[in-house]
Amino acid sequence: MLSTIIVKELKNIIVSPKFSATFAVTSLLLLLSVYVGINEYQATTRQYEAATGLVDQRLRETRSWARLSNRVYRVPNPMHVFVAGVNNDIGRTSIIDPTEQVKLTNSTYNDEPIYAAFRFIDFTFIVTIIFSLFAILFTYDAVNGERENGTLQLTFANALPRVHFIAGKFVGLWLGLIVPLLIPIVLSVVLVLAYKIPLAVDHWMSVAAIVLVSLLFCTFFIAFGICISAVTRRSSTSFLFLLVAWIVISFILPRAGVMAAGTLHPVASVAEVEGMREAFAKQIWAKHRDEMQERFRKRADEMQNMTAEERSAYEDEHAWEMMEQEDKARKDILKQIDLLGKKLEEETRNGRRQQEGLALVLSRFSPASAYQLAAMTLAGMNIDVKSAYEDALSAYRASFVTYKEKKEKESGDSGGIRITVDSNTGFKFSMGRESGSLDISEMPRFNASRFSFSGVLASALPDIVLLCAFTFLAFAAAFVAFLRYDVR
Amino acid sequence: MESGQPVFEAIGLTKKYEDETLALDHVSFSVRAGEIFAMLGGNGAGKTTTINLFLNFIEPTEGEARINGIASHKDPLTAKRNVAFVSENVMLYPNFTALQNLDYFSRLGGKTQYSKENYHAVLRRVGLQEEAHTKRLRGFSKGMRQKCGIAIAILKDAPAILLDEPTSGLDPQAGFEFIELLRSLRDDGKSILMSTHDIFRAKEVADVVGIMNRGKLIMQKHAAELAGHDLEELYMKYIAGHIRDAA
Ligand SMILES: Nc1ncnc2c1ncn2[C@@H]1O[C@H](COP(=O)(O)OP(=O)(O)OP(=O)(O)O)[C@@H](O)[C@H]1O
Ligand SMILES: [Mg+2]
Repeated sequence: MLSTIIVKELKNIIVSPKFSATFAVTSLLLLLSVYVGINEYQATTRQYEAATGLVDQRLRETRSWARLSNRVYRVPNPMHVFVAGVNNDIGRTSIIDPTEQVKLTNSTYNDEPIYAAFRFIDFTFIVTIIFSLFAILFTYDAVNGERENGTLQLTFANALPRVHFIAGKFVGLWLGLIVPLLIPIVLSVVLVLAYKIPLAVDHWMSVAAIVLVSLLFCTFFIAFGICISAVTRRSSTSFLFLLVAWIVISFILPRAGVMAAGTLHPVASVAEVEGMREAFAKQIWAKHRDEMQERFRKRADEMQNMTAEERSAYEDEHAWEMMEQEDKARKDILKQIDLLGKKLEEETRNGRRQQEGLALVLSRFSPASAYQLAAMTLAGMNIDVKSAYEDALSAYRASFVTYKEKKEKESGDSGGIRITVDSNTGFKFSMGRESGSLDISEMPRFNASRFSFSGVLASALPDIVLLCAFTFLAFAAAFVAFLRYDVR
Repeated sequence: MESGQPVFEAIGLTKKYEDETLALDHVSFSVRAGEIFAMLGGNGAGKTTTINLFLNFIEPTEGEARINGIASHKDPLTAKRNVAFVSENVMLYPNFTALQNLDYFSRLGGKTQYSKENYHAVLRRVGLQEEAHTKRLRGFSKGMRQKCGIAIAILKDAPAILLDEPTSGLDPQAGFEFIELLRSLRDDGKSILMSTHDIFRAKEVADVVGIMNRGKLIMQKHAAELAGHDLEELYMKYIAGHIRDAA
């Protein structure tokens, strides 16, 4: 009985005229997206190689330790072929320098806004939008369509347990929709192999996991479609309902979550933080100026009754002391500003993290969000990438700065033609020694953390479990609804 | 074949829908093997409700609908194993051919042994033109679908057959052939319960005629008792009488 129904469902899908058309379109889009992904990855890799080559050359050509500064580019992730995630949105490079904070800038979308206007359609997008629509298109009338046809009556004029029917329906539809979808998926993997995209074992495992999660997402929509068709009497009603639900799940809920989080948990914007820092700096510098004037006046007072000779002797005697004092005050202020900047940055970062967390929790009410988050995480392309990269870059900056300072000290080189007033080294007039290129063989290099499947799987697990729960719920609801369904 | 256990048996069958419509009011009758019972009655009289109760599509409010002695609402699966059904408006699967539809429903009916030839044979028996056998049902007329539905019922080879207005949509010739078909099924020992608006054919083929009105079985007569009477006149008289009684 069960197999009869499964076979019938399969046949019914395959002989239906809409199947070949929608299947062809879906496959084409999927392959196209992977093909575009491959091209994008290759372009990014070329850019990366050119840019890092340039940085290397610049490093080699640097003539003084003082002027040594590094720039790091984000290593292209081959998973980009399937999942763009936030890859195009976050910056690709950061300067590594003692005077500047680590900050990823020059995102693809920033440099080439045309891509931002027409965002890259990746594999996960196709799955989220097209697969789900595909699933709905073949399940919206699974039960009520048969009622309208009168075939449900005829079917249940036989000794057929309802459970068999709904289970057979589910299995048949699942096989009928999932197996065909595997064809373009396999073809896209072949495409990736043909283009020799350097995917390591961990990457491949992640690709497999993404495919499975995609099928799980598709399964959710199959179960959901059957469920809705089993709680409505008319297929036109269920189609309309599913279409609205599809829009809500795919477009509205994910964004609503983010917007709600923004309202519920506001965080100061970058500009606001910058403003606060600037205001603080302005104020503290003003105070410094006043104090300096005060000090100068005091000294002038002290020198008031002196003769010119005494004055110059006094100045000679106190010159160092004065300079040291001023220098110390200046350094103090810089430190304070830096400290405040760090504190503000830390605060907004925490705030933003909390806001992000809330947004994620809210948007996860949509299976589409859960799916996309799972896929992004599995690809190592989720929103944590930015902070993780910046953390790694900050750590690298620390070691780079240490190295640079050490080298500067060793060589006594501060670069260029400079007059330095420093409490440590004193008053100095120096010409940069044209010592030829620097020996940077010991310079620490930035190593991006390696892609680890177990790592991404662990972080993606909650979303995968959530997706399983959604699917199970939809399936259970379909079951329960059908057991009470009026077949007339 | 006249004697023996009844195949269809309605005992005080009553159905009150959720909206309080009393569609069936203590209806009792029985149909034996080799017997055709024709239910006549106006629209909304309760004919389809009776059939739906035998198929357990709805639960009786009171009483029982039995097939081969088994109450449909108590053991629906066993009861339904013994019955074949042709609905009022047979639609079947539009994307399947006639043969594919027959094959699927035969399998559901527990008959897996049929060959393609069996299907062709039964389609010929119900009078579906040869070239339509392998065509998709999408383009079939109502009568053609009806014939497929009847073929499916024949293939199930159950002792009991339920027919809800089987002749609606059939052309005169097909209607005539259908009567022949019913006779041959009766001769095979099938017990047939059919609803119809076709008084003329009912009289021609039925062993027992029942007239329903407003959920009540107001008349039940054997063919022998009807001989010499004009059934149409009788029908009008009974209905009018019942309406008068009710008033
Ligand atoms: N699902 C339902 N809910 C409420 N009332 C119903 C339902 N189905 C049928 N009825 C009512 O039950 C009564 C009997 O209907 P039924 O369909 O059995 O009539 P019928 O004899 O088959 O009529 P027809 O000749 O038009 O097919 C009618 O009054 C109808 O309105
Ligand atoms: Mg009816």
